[in-house]
Amino acid sequence: MSKLIFVFLALIPLLCTSFSPDRPSDRRVLVLVDDFAVKSSHSLFFNSLKSRGFDLHFHLADDPKIALQRYGQYLYDALILFSPTIERFGGSVDAAAILDFVDSGHDLIVAADSNASDLIREIATECGVDFDEDPAAMVVDHSGYAVSATEGDHTLIASDDFIKSDVILGSKKIEAPVLFHGIGHSLNPTNSLVLKALSASPSAFSANPKSKLTSPPSLTGSSISLVSVIQARNNARILISGSLSMFSNRFFRSGVQKAGSPTKHEKSGNEQFFTELSKWVFHERGHLKAVNVQHHKVGEANEPSIYRINDNLEYSVEVYEWSGTSWEPYVADDVQVQFYMMSPYVLKTLSTDGKGRYFTSFKVPDVYGVFQFKVEYEKLGYTSLSLSKQIPVRPFRHNEYERFIPAAYPYYGAAFSMMAGFFIFTVVHLYHKCVTFLNPAFGGFLWAMF
Amino acid sequence: MATHVTLLASAFLLLLLLPFSASISRRSAAINFFASSPASLEDAYEALRVFEILGIQEKKAHERGATCPKVLENLVSTSPLKDLFYALKVNVILKCDVNGEVFEGIASRLKVIVHDASTLLDKYYSIGGLVLIKDLDSNVDTHIPDVDGVFQSIKALRQSDGRWRHSSDNPESSIYAAGLAFEALAGVISLASSEIERSTVNIVKNDIVKLFDVIEKYDDGSFYFEEKFVSGQEQHGSLSTTSSVVRGFTAFAAATSGKINLPGDTILGLAKFFLGIGIPGDAKEFFSQVESLAFLESNRQVLISIPLILSLPETVYSLTKKGQLKESRKYRVYDLAKVNTVLGSAAPPLTVKLVHAFSTGAKDSSIIDSKELWYDQESGLHVLDTFPNNLDVGTYVFVFEIVLHDSASEEVYTTGGQIYVPIYVTGIIEVGNAEITVVESDLGTAETQKKLDLSGNDAVSLSANHLQKLMFAFQLTTPHGQDFKPQQAFFKLRHESKVEHIFVVGNTGKKFEIILDFLGLVEKLFYLSGRYDIELTVGDAVMENSFLRLIGHLQLDLPEAPEKASRPPTPPVDPYSRYEPKEEITHTFRTPEKRPPQNLSLIFLGLILLPFIGFLFGLLRLGVNVKNFPGSTAPSTFGILFHVGIAGILLLYVLFWLKLDLFTTLKAFGLLGAFLMFVGHRILSHLALTSAKLKSA
Repeated sequence: MSKLIFVFLALIPLLCTSFSPDRPSDRRVLVLVDDFAVKSSHSLFFNSLKSRGFDLHFHLADDPKIALQRYGQYLYDALILFSPTIERFGGSVDAAAILDFVDSGHDLIVAADSNASDLIREIATECGVDFDEDPAAMVVDHSGYAVSATEGDHTLIASDDFIKSDVILGSKKIEAPVLFHGIGHSLNPTNSLVLKALSASPSAFSANPKSKLTSPPSLTGSSISLVSVIQARNNARILISGSLSMFSNRFFRSGVQKAGSPTKHEKSGNEQFFTELSKWVFHERGHLKAVNVQHHKVGEANEPSIYRINDNLEYSVEVYEWSGTSWEPYVADDVQVQFYMMSPYVLKTLSTDGKGRYFTSFKVPDVYGVFQFKVEYEKLGYTSLSLSKQIPVRPFRHNEYERFIPAAYPYYGAAFSMMAGFFIFTVVHLYHKCVTFLNPAFGGFLWAMF
Repeated sequence: MATHVTLLASAFLLLLLLPFSASISRRSAAINFFASSPASLEDAYEALRVFEILGIQEKKAHERGATCPKVLENLVSTSPLKDLFYALKVNVILKCDVNGEVFEGIASRLKVIVHDASTLLDKYYSIGGLVLIKDLDSNVDTHIPDVDGVFQSIKALRQSDGRWRHSSDNPESSIYAAGLAFEALAGVISLASSEIERSTVNIVKNDIVKLFDVIEKYDDGSFYFEEKFVSGQEQHGSLSTTSSVVRGFTAFAAATSGKINLPGDTILGLAKFFLGIGIPGDAKEFFSQVESLAFLESNRQVLISIPLILSLPETVYSLTKKGQLKESRKYRVYDLAKVNTVLGSAAPPLTVKLVHAFSTGAKDSSIIDSKELWYDQESGLHVLDTFPNNLDVGTYVFVFEIVLHDSASEEVYTTGGQIYVPIYVTGIIEVGNAEITVVESDLGTAETQKKLDLSGNDAVSLSANHLQKLMFAFQLTTPHGQDFKPQQAFFKLRHESKVEHIFVVGNTGKKFEIILDFLGLVEKLFYLSGRYDIELTVGDAVMENSFLRLIGHLQLDLPEAPEKASRPPTPPVDPYSRYEPKEEITHTFRTPEKRPPQNLSLIFLGLILLPFIGFLFGLLRLGVNVKNFPGSTAPSTFGILFHVGIAGILLLYVLFWLKLDLFTTLKAFGLLGAFLMFVGHRILSHLALTSAKLKSA
């Protein structure tokens, strides 16, 4: 028995990790709902997650038994909050616990609605998303609404202002507009991590749909975000939507016709939008890993411990993207490497062979010191890559300078002719026998010559 | 006025799609869900049951061929109880050819299980099986001998709060089990050879009523059951729980006589709950939903009220579309309502009454009072055939009521009282008299006045400074010539640097007017001079031509910002440019020092060598000789070695220049130097001696 417990305890860390490059599958998702009817009314969304291998655990948000972690280990890899009205979570879960959950690299999907509670607003605010504070406000768009025979107040919006990113929304274009019915939010301008995945049209505003406007609403135009995504610095991903009904089967299946547009789409874009977006949020797309960083001198194969200035070197790294089932080669043309000491001395775009390998070669600058190879890859929607490898660079050794400089030939010539002259002089001086004038004057002449 | 306009509403906002489109969308959903051949008999039963309820005969026939062999395979007394149960259920629908003796065998086995089974589920399956056999083949004896005993053993599982346990040794209870229990009890009653005591039946009826104490309610009036915190292997959602209860109590009501005392509102609420889900995502839930709705409306439960749903397929009525419609019908159809039971089958004879209708702005003044809707046999719609001619754009509330013709059917159906439906009447609003003016603030004289045609695309160009005012005015009128106040009338100034300012255009009487006094606004405009785009947004829920358009440009000349003025907000970072690749950096290497050309160096080398050549030439001219070289062997050897040593040292210099390093050179120099000292001393002393001898001689 104790053995069993031991085995179980040993397995816990394996079972409950956030997205990790080593074990990207087997992901457990906690779904908190206001009532279990959401499970059936939003089942298309949940089924698409289940069919992709996610293990969904449904709980009421006020269930006293819910817990995100036990014995310091997280029980889930991701959290879906489909409980817009919840004022207080059951169990040990609160806003701080959820933010800790995200801070430890786990993913989060939050859906608010027109009656969103302060708790949900607080979680959103911490993520850089500010919902309209007016509790009666909804996003109204008198020009971009979805034509409907039964919704006359133009709060059912058909929006097609998507974020332009293939990695977030998939490579297939979303043809039909996405239906939205809920509250709008604005993004904190100082937060550079949060992105508008779906924005309202310029004519939209956020206000109580039943009252006339007397003062400008706090949120207007395309600064209103309907659905936002956040990728934290630890690569945790968050999706925040101002509408829970967007995820519902009714909106998934409903046809849509945008006001003023003659085309009537059989099916709204919601299903495609959220299937693709959830793939992104749950790291089935856009998660990069870099392996096999190599650098060496041109013509050599081994990695040196030090480079000399002006050496030519080759640098290569392999980058792969997680596709949901396997690591696929990542192909892009904007991966850059920096040769960095306090500031980049060399910044070069890497070439790729299309199979995940990125490589380049360059000449080490003629500055010596401790350098780093740095790959700081940030791209919209992708997890950031940050690699650095330290490498020292030394100056020339004394015998590595250039030797036989032509400009110095006169000096060499002077020295060597002087040496030859000296040799001849010693011979002449020692063995010359003066036949005619045997006096030292001849020696004096010779001395004077030098 | 108009001809054929359908202004229709849904009685419950949740029920938008239903039940008008219910049959169609359900049918397609059913075909989608049950497209693949079912894996188990339970799935097969669910598929067949749904096809049966929705009347999809072709699919049913299609299933028959594949499923019947499976049924026969499982209809042996040894197969598991659950499979047996579902095989019987499928057989009821498909009527496969089964031998009567097979039923005999199964019945006798089930009878044993009914008595011996300890769990509710086993009892449920065995009793259910017996009931099915009874329906399939009346020759088989399905009567349970000890009815009271079985009845009591099931009753014993009941908890005080109305929930039931799954077995006697498991203390956990659930609502789902309660539904199963009611169905099982209903089965027991129908299998009883003699009449069950009335008091016992009444106790169960009270249990059902008691169970409804734990029912949950939504704001929109729908009711549902939900298991609270069930730990256990099976977790049922609110849909399957509610469905189980509905199946249970309708079965019980059918098996017994006498009304179960449940309020009509609750039944209607349950129907609303099932309809409100729309189309659930998986086959099982879809089955639960459809089957429950079928139970709620099926006619054999005359004891329970059947909910009637009033739905209006449209609540937005456009005044402008009237022109496009044909004059094909003599009557004017303005408002249609359809009354259905929950699955869309026809309602009993009834009249839909429009109690009254009023504008949301003025609740007291009613535009239509107490009007009966005319029933159109052809389409099955209740039609409002007159409408006040002066109906203007706006939002209205229509109050409907369903009046049943038969007093007897009032017992059977529930209608839900008065139904309030918001109706939007939309139309084209005429925009006119738009003008934009720049005036001197002190004099009030118009500097530039421009008329605008807001329906066109023309844009004006204006310029102003901080001492001037901008005036903008326009007028809105409804199709009936009334003044119209839209919800949204924004006047927007957008600076080149994307800083936006929004002003709400207020209305004074007829006119919408905004006056921007730039002197008072300089602070708000952050002293930003330059070109501003002027945009006007006018929109309302009932305004069909809501628009957002560029009116023109304003070249604004504002004073310099004082030091303390607030800075304009920094524009948000564009996410697309933020992630663009950085510009490449290449290191600029130190340029090598300038050197003279090689030829020049060679010329200088030649010049440098000239003195040496002159020296050699001079020596030859002087006639040097080496006659002084010693003649004897030893000194001559030393002399040669001495000069070889000197040459060696000089050669060492050359080698040092060419390739040797300092340490090797010094080592070699040390050795050569010592050698040279020795031989040099010998030859020089010899020469000195010879010279001294010569002098002295």
